[in-house]
Order: sequence, then C-alpha cells, then structure tokens
Amino acid sequence: MMRDTIVGRIPNMTSGRGARSRRKGDAKNIIEIRNLVKDYPLGSTTVHALRRMDLDIQEGDFLSIVGPSGSGKTTLLNVIGCIDHATDGSVKVGGTEITTLDDRQITDMRLHRIGFIFQTFNLIPVLDVRENVEFPLLLMKTMSKTEVRTRAEKLIDEVGLTEFVDHRPAELSGGQRQRVAIARALVTNPDIVLADEPTANLDSVTGAQILDLMRTMNKIEKTTFIFSTHDANVLKYARDIIKIKDGQIVKG
Amino acid sequence: MELILKIAWRNILRHKGKSLIIGVILFLGSLLMTVGNGVISGMDHGLERNIVNGFLGDLVIIPGKEKSDNVLFKMYGESIDKIANYKDIKKLLQKEDYIAGFLPIGRNVAMILNEEEGDPGYAMLLGVDFDQYRRFFPNNFESVEGRLLAKGESGILIPLKHREDVYDQMNVWLIPEGSAVTDKNLSDDARKNRKYLNVKHDAVFMGMSDVYSSSDIRLPVRGIIRYNALNTIWGHFSIMDIESYRRCLGYFAASESAVKVTKEKKKLLEMDSSNLDAMFGTTDFVVADTGKADISGISFKRKEIPKTSGDVDLEDGAYNLILVRLKDRVSLNRGLSKLNRSLASANLGVRATTWKKASGFIGSMATLIKGALFVFVMFLFLVAIIIIVNTLTMAALERTTEIGMMRAVGAQKGFIGRMFLGETAILSGLFGGLGVLIGVIAVKITPLLRITSDNDLVQLLFGGDTFMPYLSLGDIAVVLFELLLVTFITVIYPVKVSRGITPLDAISRD
Ligand SMILES: Nc1ncnc2c1ncn2[C@@H]1O[C@H](COP(=O)(O)OP(=O)(O)OP(=O)(O)O)[C@@H](O)[C@H]1O
Ligand SMILES: [Mg+2]
Repeated sequence: MMRDTIVGRIPNMTSGRGARSRRKGDAKNIIEIRNLVKDYPLGSTTVHALRRMDLDIQEGDFLSIVGPSGSGKTTLLNVIGCIDHATDGSVKVGGTEITTLDDRQITDMRLHRIGFIFQTFNLIPVLDVRENVEFPLLLMKTMSKTEVRTRAEKLIDEVGLTEFVDHRPAELSGGQRQRVAIARALVTNPDIVLADEPTANLDSVTGAQILDLMRTMNKIEKTTFIFSTHDANVLKYARDIIKIKDGQIVKG
Repeated sequence: MELILKIAWRNILRHKGKSLIIGVILFLGSLLMTVGNGVISGMDHGLERNIVNGFLGDLVIIPGKEKSDNVLFKMYGESIDKIANYKDIKKLLQKEDYIAGFLPIGRNVAMILNEEEGDPGYAMLLGVDFDQYRRFFPNNFESVEGRLLAKGESGILIPLKHREDVYDQMNVWLIPEGSAVTDKNLSDDARKNRKYLNVKHDAVFMGMSDVYSSSDIRLPVRGIIRYNALNTIWGHFSIMDIESYRRCLGYFAASESAVKVTKEKKKLLEMDSSNLDAMFGTTDFVVADTGKADISGISFKRKEIPKTSGDVDLEDGAYNLILVRLKDRVSLNRGLSKLNRSLASANLGVRATTWKKASGFIGSMATLIKGALFVFVMFLFLVAIIIIVNTLTMAALERTTEIGMMRAVGAQKGFIGRMFLGETAILSGLFGGLGVLIGVIAVKITPLLRITSDNDLVQLLFGGDTFMPYLSLGDIAVVLFELLLVTFITVIYPVKVSRGITPLDAISRD
C-alpha cells in the first residue's frame, strides 16, 4: 500500500542525522519564550494554564511535548501557533514578537511561518487533495499558478498520495487525511509545524507511519516540528522531549 | 477571487438543502418583486396615458380662487369658479415654447330636472367646443348610439355609465334623438324593467353654481358614447357644447357678448333668470313647459341670441379649466414651474397644476394602491430576508470547524466574509436572476392575454380597462438593484458571524 511504500520512496531517510548535527552547530532558536503566562477566566475563578514559562526551541528540531492531561500542552502549542493570545510574557517565532500583533498580522504569521496538523478536521471538505495542499499557497498569492501546482504536487508526492490528488477528504482514510495535512502544513515552507496529538485519532500502526513521515519531512524539508502526545510509543520518534506539568516545564 | 468562487460554488452544491431553501425564497421574492413592479409601473403608465392623453392633458390651468387643485372630482355641492379671461391666457400660452397645445373647457355639475314626480338626476358636465375638443383628444371616446356633435351644434353626449346613473337616479332611460332603445346597451335594471321603461330623447339641465345664477335648458341627447379607457371612471362625465354649458351655468355666453348687451338689458336678464330660478325651486312643471316649447335646445333666452353661431367667437365666453399638453421632452414638473412662473408674472388670476393633482382621488387612489403593493412586497421581502439571514447564519455556525481551520491555515477574516458573500451572490444571481427573468416574461406576456375589468378600483389598478403591466429597462434595472440590495442586506449578519469565527473555535469543537 501507498503508506507502506512511502519510507522506501524518500531518499536519505536514515541519513537525516547529518542535517541534525549540522544544525546543532548553528544553535539558532526558532522559538524563544520568556515568562509566558496564560490564564483562562472560568466563572469567578481563573485557570492558570501556563505559569511563567521559559523555553527555547532550536531550528530544525523534532520536539515532543509531553505531560499529563490538563498540563497545558495544547495551550502552549496554541500560543506558539498564534491561535491563542498570551496573557503575559513574550513569545518570538522566527525572531518576530507575536504577542503584540493584530489579527491581520497574526493571520499572516500563521500563513507564512507556521504549519498546522490538527487531530481531526484538517481539510476543506469541498476541495480535493491537490486543492487542499495548494490552498495556503493561493492565499499567499506570491507564486504563479504553475509554481503553486508544481510545489503542491511535490509535497503530495513526498507524502505518497500522488494517486489520490483528485480525491476529496471524505474519500480518504484517517491516515491519508493526516498525510494531506502534513503536505499542506509544509507546502508554504514554514518556520515551524505544530501538531497537537496528530495521531490520537489513528490506530497505532497508522499513527507510527504518520510520525515516521513527519520525521522524514523534518529531515528533507528541514522544518522544525513540535508535537504533543500522550503516547509513550510516540516518544521514540522525538529528537528532543520537554515535559510539562501544571503549566510549567519539568526538568528531565 | 477564483478560489473564493470555487469554494463558494462547491459549498452551494454540498449544502443542497440550504441552498435550495435560500434559492427558492430568492426566486419567489424576485419574481414577486418584478411582477409587482410591473403592475405598479403599468398602472402608472396606464393612468398617465389614459388621463393625460384621454382626459386632462399634462397640466390643468385652474381659477386662482380654487382652494384645492382637485378640480376633477370636486364635491357635488361645490362649483368651480370661472375663467373669464381666456383670450389673455391664450395669448400667453401661445408664446410658451414648451407647450404643445391647450384646450379650454367648462367643468361643473348640473342637476337634471325630473319632469315627472321623482328625484332629480345629476350630471358632471364638460363644456367644450366639440371640434376643438376632438382635435385635442382625437380618439378618447367612441359613439355607441346616435352620433357625435356637429360643428356649432348644441346638445349633449352621454356616456353609457352616466346613462345608467341617470336611470338609477330618476328612472329615465335616455337615448339619442330619432333613435330607438338599443337592447344590448340596457343596464341590468333597465332590462328588467324593459316594458315600462320611461324613454326620453332630451333632458332639462340646471347648472349648479354657488356664485352665479344658473338657468335651466332643455338639450337633446345627440349620442351615447363610451370612453376608450377607464370608461367606468370617465363615464360619469357627459359632454355638452360650450354655449349650452355656459347658459346652463349662468355664465355670460359668447353669443350674448356678440350681441353687445346693454347694461340695462343685462340687469334685466339676470333678474329674469334668478326670478325663474326661484320659481323652478317650487314648481318643476314650469321648466318643463318652457323647455318643451324649445326643442332646438337653446334656452328660453334665445330671443336675445343670434341663431347662427358662425359669427360668434366662442372664446369670448367663460370657461372653468384650461387643459395643457406639454411637448414630449418637457418633464411635468419643469413644465409646471415654468408655466406657473409665467402665469403669476402676467397676473392672470389663474394657476396651473398637474394632472395628478387635478384628478384628485384617482391620483390618491393610485398612490394608495401603489403604497399597498409596495408595503406588501416589502413585507414579503422582510420575511424572506429573515429566513435567509437565519439560514445563512446557521450555515456559518455549522461550519465553524471548517472556517476556523481555514483561518488557522492563514485565511484572513475578509476571505471568509467574501466566501459567504460569494455563496449568497451566486444563489441570488442564479435564482434571483431566474425570478427576475420569469417575472419580466410574465409582465411581457400578460398584456397579450387582454385581461379586462369593469370595476372602478380594478381599473385604477390596471391603469385602464386592460391589465397592462409594464417594465421599462429602467424598471428592470431598479428590480435588479433591489435584488442586489436584498442580497447585501441578508448577507451582512451571516458574514459578520462567519468573520467572527476563530481558529480556537474550531479546535475547541474537536
Ligand atoms: N478555553 C478554556 N477555558 C478555560 N480553561 C481552559 C480552556 N482551555 C484550557 N483550559 C484549561 O487550561 C489547562 C490546560 O489545558 P490544555 O488543554 O492546555 O491541557 P493539555 O495538556 O492539552 O491536556 P490534554 O492532554 O488533555 O489535551 C486545563 O486545566 C484546562 O482545563
Ligand atoms: Mg491537549
């Protein structure tokens, strides 16, 4: 099946270490978080989802965020991903301070600098695979139609869905949809790709394949991946792991 | 844009049920709006055509003393003052280059005296120089019994409708002199009473004037006529030759001034007539007697009047109104203000008004019907707007995850808003456009069906005897604009809702 052959297709699958070590030398931070606070008002009380968090993430990393339920993983990813506002503190993505941006600027940040892979509901139902992958490029309006198509088809090929370019999301399996999401997240060549429990809705075999693919893409596209997970099995794919508990980073 | 329309179009197909609901409402709304506009426009057109071309002209010059411009349907008790200086006004009108033509007429009410026991009848009279009148309104009525008036001939032409009124009022069935009853023209009541029908060829008219001492004259019925349009409304107006009219109303007739009446004679004459009036008030038979002796139709004062009207300048006498027709390119309001300026500066004691104001309740009824139609259409649209807004808003909320995800991936608020606008615009373009198209076709076809009515109110709605809805290119443009406006109004709120959906909303739905 397509999913099984993907590993074999992509060259350099196991030689990604080269890229990693090369990057380690540069030690450039793609994300710098200082003193980040996120409170949710809840009735008369306040939920402190993130409590004065400091965190640097290096460019090209493949980072997993782990922690018990309710520890603040989703909240952290949402703030980094410019989907939720910080209550206090500073968050820099690719050198840009995002806590002070207005809606238009922050939407542009999401478009140009960040890729998302959600748990479910990733795709626009009325668009086929190719159109879904092309979508952010068309929003950017920086490429010609043929460039957009070439770029999208390259990514679709890399996630192994060339056969399915004309299929609508409803005609794809859960794993295939996540592959499309990965291609779509990477098509704009973003600084970071964020994935909040990307495998939670998949069976373990398929989940492993998706993580494999993400790892592969991390190597060939040299994009920073940050994902959260509950699953201990998933952890072995991570290059770096941070643990959080009660909205704070725990050492180790 | 291409992307937005693509997504919008596919969303329409994806949510077929909702699209169909909105589409059908837009279709019906546009159809109704188009047809409604066609009816209103047709009514406007018809009324204008029928009143302007067949009855009043564009502008009406009325005596300055008249309080109300509504001279056509004044109450029975009130009379219209006279215009005695027609020749001066004529001189002025001939100089105005925007005026195509004009016609002086008498217009007042006369009582028809009952020569037997019984109630009198009434007649709304138009006093005209018949030749001049026919030149001004060449085809506005046709003869159905008898004939029309010859040049300089005295007599009265009575419309079918008025004859029925007279029958109802005084139980007399009038037919033209020298003719027999035409059975097919009998009213239902008259037909029932066919055997005992009190048939007459003439009648005695007494002008009803609250200022001048009117007199009574016996006039032969020369013909029965039917107005070609709005007969049920115009059909109340009988046409009398102007000299008889003047005598009937107690005005100085043109022929009298031609005789050069001395002051004393004039005094005597006026006394005569008022004395006689007082007499008629009590004894009807006196009138009947004087009248019967004078079949030629000239009043009992005929001794003072030359028999031949050829050497008489009819325009020396008094009128009540002057109907004015404007040249084609001149707008009603511009013509009105120009004419009124000229009339005022010449100090002629008259003023001009529009056919709309002069036709009083017809104009108001038309406005009323229009208003009611408008309110009805607006009400329908309000309901339609509410349903569409509701459906679209629901659609927006149902697609929260989808929209939120699009926002997360980098679509701006504007993109989402335009996507919704696009969906509604496509629906309104397709279904609304179809509604307008079918509406236009319906409006174009209806006149061919020749739907007619005899009812006054329905005739008003039709703007004539036949239902002739009408849409000009301008009207169609207005309809399309209204559709655009409705589309825009319905989409405001749903767009606002959809723009407010955030990526976070999408995620928290998961
Ligand atoms: N919209 C919200 N309103 C109020 N409280 C919230 C909201 N979103 C999150 N929280 C609270 O913030 C804290 C962190 O939640 P978060 O979703 O980040 O946890 P998580 O680590 O992702 O958990 P899980 O592993 O179950 O997904 C929790 O206590 C949660 O109840
Ligand atoms: Mg979570």
